[in-house]
Amino acid sequence: MEETREAEQAGEKVDENLKVAGGELLPVGRSGLRLRGWVVESRHCPIINSLAREQWEEKLVTSHLPEMVFGDSSLTLSHEKTGVKISFNAFDALSEWKQEGLPPVEVPAAAKWKFRSKPSQQVILDYDYTFTTPYCGSESVDRDPEKVEGSDRNRSLSWEDSSEGIDLVALASKEPILFYDEVVLYEDELADSGVSLLTVKVRVMPHCWFVLLRFWLRVDGVLMRLRDTRFYCSFGSDPNAIPIILRENCWREVTFQDLSAQGFSSDSASYSDPNLIMQRIPVIMKKIQKLRFPD
Amino acid sequence: MMGSSPWQGSNSLSSDSNKLKLDRAQFEWARSPNRARAGAQLELPPMPRSSPVARRSPRSSSKSAVRRVLPKEMSDLDRQIEQLKKCEPLKESEVKALCLKAMEILVEESNVQRVDAPVTICGDIHGQFYDMKELFKVGGDCPKTNYLFLGDFVDRGFYSVETFLLLLALKVRYPDRITLIRGNHESRQITQVYGFYDECLRKYGSVNVWRYCTDIFDYLSLSALIENRVFSVHGGLSPAITTLDQIRTIDRKQEVPHDGVMCDLLWSDPEDIVDGWGLSPRGAGFLFGGNVVTSFNHSNNIDYICRAHQLVMEGYKWMFNNQIVTVWSAPNYCYRCGNVAAILELDENLNKQFRVFEAAPHESRGVPSKKPAPDYFL
Repeated sequence: MEETREAEQAGEKVDENLKVAGGELLPVGRSGLRLRGWVVESRHCPIINSLAREQWEEKLVTSHLPEMVFGDSSLTLSHEKTGVKISFNAFDALSEWKQEGLPPVEVPAAAKWKFRSKPSQQVILDYDYTFTTPYCGSESVDRDPEKVEGSDRNRSLSWEDSSEGIDLVALASKEPILFYDEVVLYEDELADSGVSLLTVKVRVMPHCWFVLLRFWLRVDGVLMRLRDTRFYCSFGSDPNAIPIILRENCWREVTFQDLSAQGFSSDSASYSDPNLIMQRIPVIMKKIQKLRFPD
Repeated sequence: MMGSSPWQGSNSLSSDSNKLKLDRAQFEWARSPNRARAGAQLELPPMPRSSPVARRSPRSSSKSAVRRVLPKEMSDLDRQIEQLKKCEPLKESEVKALCLKAMEILVEESNVQRVDAPVTICGDIHGQFYDMKELFKVGGDCPKTNYLFLGDFVDRGFYSVETFLLLLALKVRYPDRITLIRGNHESRQITQVYGFYDECLRKYGSVNVWRYCTDIFDYLSLSALIENRVFSVHGGLSPAITTLDQIRTIDRKQEVPHDGVMCDLLWSDPEDIVDGWGLSPRGAGFLFGGNVVTSFNHSNNIDYICRAHQLVMEGYKWMFNNQIVTVWSAPNYCYRCGNVAAILELDENLNKQFRVFEAAPHESRGVPSKKPAPDYFL
């Protein structure tokens, strides 16, 4: 009871803050808001069923998908005036997994298995079962949402390197959060050998929005990978102006062998929350880009 | 709800940090199954070496076990079952006593435990206690319904302790009416990573309950054979096994090994794209194709294999021309997948009926609210 009342009170506070900021919630039944020329919307759906899995396998030309594919879940941020849309979905992420096609990672038990007597006809599967993806969101421009042709959509948007960084000071200020959500796009338990998880989090404040797309992989006893993509957009004074969107990629990777060489625990149970151990994982790639709009 | 266990701090085994460190060291042995057992808590009856010839029928063996349960113990058990049905864990001392009794029953069971029809077969539960209560609503209460659970009682969900203890208490109370076989999560190593270990520590303030339970895991049977016609196992087949007698000779009383027949039975998966045997891209773990199942079913004169181990959105899935079926009994897996679950009811003539069910309504399950709390993530 107590909790319900507190939640209600917190809800009312958010509504009030949103009103002050000049925004509104999306209609009942939808999750998200409209603020300063942006529509931010999240969708949470169950994992796709067996029939949809078959269709995806066919489209992606693979016979393997993560155990849990939240195929209809998504996060979308659309700028109403320019038609710019940044979205996050499992299908595009898995297309890029397929394209990257990393070699599989062997689990520790594999060493022993090499000495097992093999059955006479044996196939060794070699797809990247970790579902590691370089995906960093999908962007498009809906010039005229009524008449958009698929091939036309990505025509004119591109990302160019930038020397500007994401404004961490602005993000660290405790402006009220008007909308917050986390959407899981896919997940796999690696047959109980670790975790592979792609999620996207969003928070919208009165002066900016911020997104973190995170691919998190732990193969127990072998390695961890963290591929983060952060998006930041500070609202200008004119909601009709072209927005400035920054994107920062940061990839980290470490083997358990390296961790134990540095004196850290190599017990998988200590590495369940990437937030807590991120600093132990060295950065292997980092870049900052800015969304370039067509003239 | 969790963490506020009435037992915390109320007994001598509670959270003394030195004691915990000692405990942690003591069960390091579990990681290498060959090392000598140090600090084991339960005095275990010796496990008779299985023989490939037909064992005593399970009915006669479990009768002898029932005789050892005194009326006082029976009423204690009934009270404990009622308590567990309310999702209230037992006291540590009660868990220990329950595990000792369960051990006496389980030690008598064959690696290929014979089960009579009618029986209802259930797949993975994974600590989703309130969803297991839905399962019993759909399938009927034990002992009225005869049950076979295919393992993976613990890990992932919030109530592995209550889930496993309820099943174990039912096993001790009605040994002829419920069969529990081992899943790959019934293992010391896996439970330390995927939840059960932490849950025991949180709810009891010590790892003793985890230790009693994992000791019991070693006694769980590896498979079941229903009326000599339906073979049931958690994961699947092994290239080293062609006959059921080969399973009967395994010395199962050990931590699940990283390779070998026992490992395969608990870990392997059927796979569409291989014809014979396949090796997982992880470099460990077998995949088996339709031909393998056909020849296994033929050599052992069985109709089909019933297994669990893999999430199926629809609750069950037939493969290879109805020669093997996967049954999955954890609806809305991990409280977010939105899948339905199923159980397979076999009547006395082995006619099949799948019962599909959904997760317990949100308000009845005592799970933290779905909406994530806003977070100033960076």
